[in-house]
Amino acid sequence: MGERLRAVLPSLLSIALALALGFLAIALTRDLDTALQAYGQMLAGGIGDWGAYLEGGPLTLLTRPWGEAGTKAALLTFTGLSVAVAFRVGLFNIGAQGQMVVGALVAAVVGAQLSLPAFLHLPLALLAAGVAGGLWALLPALLKLRRGVHEVISTIMLNWVAVSLVDNWLVVGPLRASASGELSRSGTDEVLATAELPRLLGSLSRLNLGLPLALLAAALVWLWLLRTRVGYEVRAVGQGAEAARTAGIPVARRVTETMALAGALAGLAGAVLVLGTELKYPSSLGAPYGFDGIAIALLGGSHPGGTAAAALFFGVLRAGGTRMQLLGVHKSFPELIQGLALLLVAGRLAWLTLVRRRSAVTGSAVVASTEVPRA
Amino acid sequence: MLEVLEALLHSTLEAAPALVFAALGATLSERAGVVSVGVEGMMRAGAFCAAVAALYMPTGLAVLVGMGAGAVMAAVHGYLSLRWRADQVVSGMALNLVALAGGTFVLESLYSPSGTPSITQLRTWSLPGLDAVPLLRALSGHSLLTYLALLLPFALQALLQRTALGLRLRAVGERPHAVATLGLSVLGLRWGAVLGGGLLAGLGGAALSCAVLDRFEQHMPAGLGFMALAAMVFGRWSFRGAAGAALFFAAGNALRIGLASSAPGLLQVVPQGFLLALPYVLTLVLLALRGGKAHAPAALGVPYEQESR
Repeated sequence: MGERLRAVLPSLLSIALALALGFLAIALTRDLDTALQAYGQMLAGGIGDWGAYLEGGPLTLLTRPWGEAGTKAALLTFTGLSVAVAFRVGLFNIGAQGQMVVGALVAAVVGAQLSLPAFLHLPLALLAAGVAGGLWALLPALLKLRRGVHEVISTIMLNWVAVSLVDNWLVVGPLRASASGELSRSGTDEVLATAELPRLLGSLSRLNLGLPLALLAAALVWLWLLRTRVGYEVRAVGQGAEAARTAGIPVARRVTETMALAGALAGLAGAVLVLGTELKYPSSLGAPYGFDGIAIALLGGSHPGGTAAAALFFGVLRAGGTRMQLLGVHKSFPELIQGLALLLVAGRLAWLTLVRRRSAVTGSAVVASTEVPRA
Repeated sequence: MLEVLEALLHSTLEAAPALVFAALGATLSERAGVVSVGVEGMMRAGAFCAAVAALYMPTGLAVLVGMGAGAVMAAVHGYLSLRWRADQVVSGMALNLVALAGGTFVLESLYSPSGTPSITQLRTWSLPGLDAVPLLRALSGHSLLTYLALLLPFALQALLQRTALGLRLRAVGERPHAVATLGLSVLGLRWGAVLGGGLLAGLGGAALSCAVLDRFEQHMPAGLGFMALAAMVFGRWSFRGAAGAALFFAAGNALRIGLASSAPGLLQVVPQGFLLALPYVLTLVLLALRGGKAHAPAALGVPYEQESR
């Protein structure tokens, strides 16, 4: 069994089994027919209604589902990368949600309050969101390095601080959209056209520049992590901080930098949501994309490419999940699949043992069970 | 003034058991060396199953069902992290995700999206003699869970510090290989602690749906599990400390709600978001001041392998 296959096999098997369990869940709570129809709808909603297309239907039957899937995948790629990058230096970033909230708010404010030409406005809004997310993520890094506070606890706390301050204060208070006429609107002011992420398919789909940006980010993270000296040092710290320190690697510095990058990526997820689809900071972010990032990063094996692939897959599932609601399947269904897949991937070693027994490969070394390197 | 204090104390004691039990459960598991990030998911399973069970049986029994549900979730965590040496944080987070999405899915297919039908709440007990005393009156009129939450930390602390079992539990979280050298089962002790932690977390969830409210609601427990983890860290992994911190958080919460309802003028000056963020900011500041690292069990989160040293 190839090294590469062995790395992705547990994720693939877990996703497949999670899909099967999800099917069983619908069949049990409803009936077999509904389950079949629901999965059919999921495919149609996620990758397009091919049947209708072959019969000569309009192009939108394909582009809209793909566009929706791509839009969702962009967000999941960014938060997944955020979590994956932190994993690589040995930190568990549960705070991607909070960093995303902060980034989204800053993107909304910069997008709405400044008036600049488009070639400056959009990059500036993205940059500001990234910086804001990065700064928010620096707090847990500093608390960890200076005071030994575990990042799992501090990032969870900071999630709530971000949500409380933004959703319950700024967005309903100082930054609330100015009422137009009699309509009182929720959320902040709409961003100006100069700060919007351009749509790629025109009016055919909501797909915007966010997806290419996310894939570009994945490629850059891959280059940085696996092809540069700093990236090598980051991974060394993640494998063992003591050994890295002995080898002369500035551990504290690498941890700080990487956490800031993780926060920036989560902040960009917020920016893509605001500048690409919502066009303002809504009354609340809605879906917990930051938490989804954890599942995506782990299913992708904390590898930038794997993370992007997992994000694309779950983007399809999410877009398809919207269609499933037509049959009365709850909208949390894709999240259920995602959670189950993560649960199954946690038992990675079980899969590998199972596969090894079947393929009767003998003498190969036991694959390390740890998925999250610890600092 | 006295009346306000009394009301605050009463609502603190009413809401605290959920947080206290969850913090105790997390502490039990982590003292044996198994990370308990999944406590939120266990609480959610406990709250849901207890509320559903109470539709068909006396609420007291339903609480036991909720405990069982917490233990089942913990068993999944134990199977993955003990049997298959999965990363314990990952396994715990996966439990949380499954409990959140799966709970929503099942809730919607069986009842309504917002929650289960109402059930009979656990009966409350008034303590004779205390009813007439100002301030102490707040101690009276709670369910048995409240009194259990006040006593259990001391019982568990005594178990941990004064019994042979407690010594072994502590040792398995610090030096599992030394425990194995004595011919004791590391995995057995850890399984016991994980399941016990699940029972307690399930009890915490059941306290929410059977004592604080009278039904399961969609967003229960809404982060209380993570708050319990913070209480555990803040209490430096001791049962009494964790329970004390949990009571402190519950009091902070009661104070916030009390302030908002008794002094609406306050919301004009201090935005609600500030009040909401306050307990978390406070926790962070206190954690930063105390530091956290030195007190976690040495073998926490390290999967046990017989052959490695």
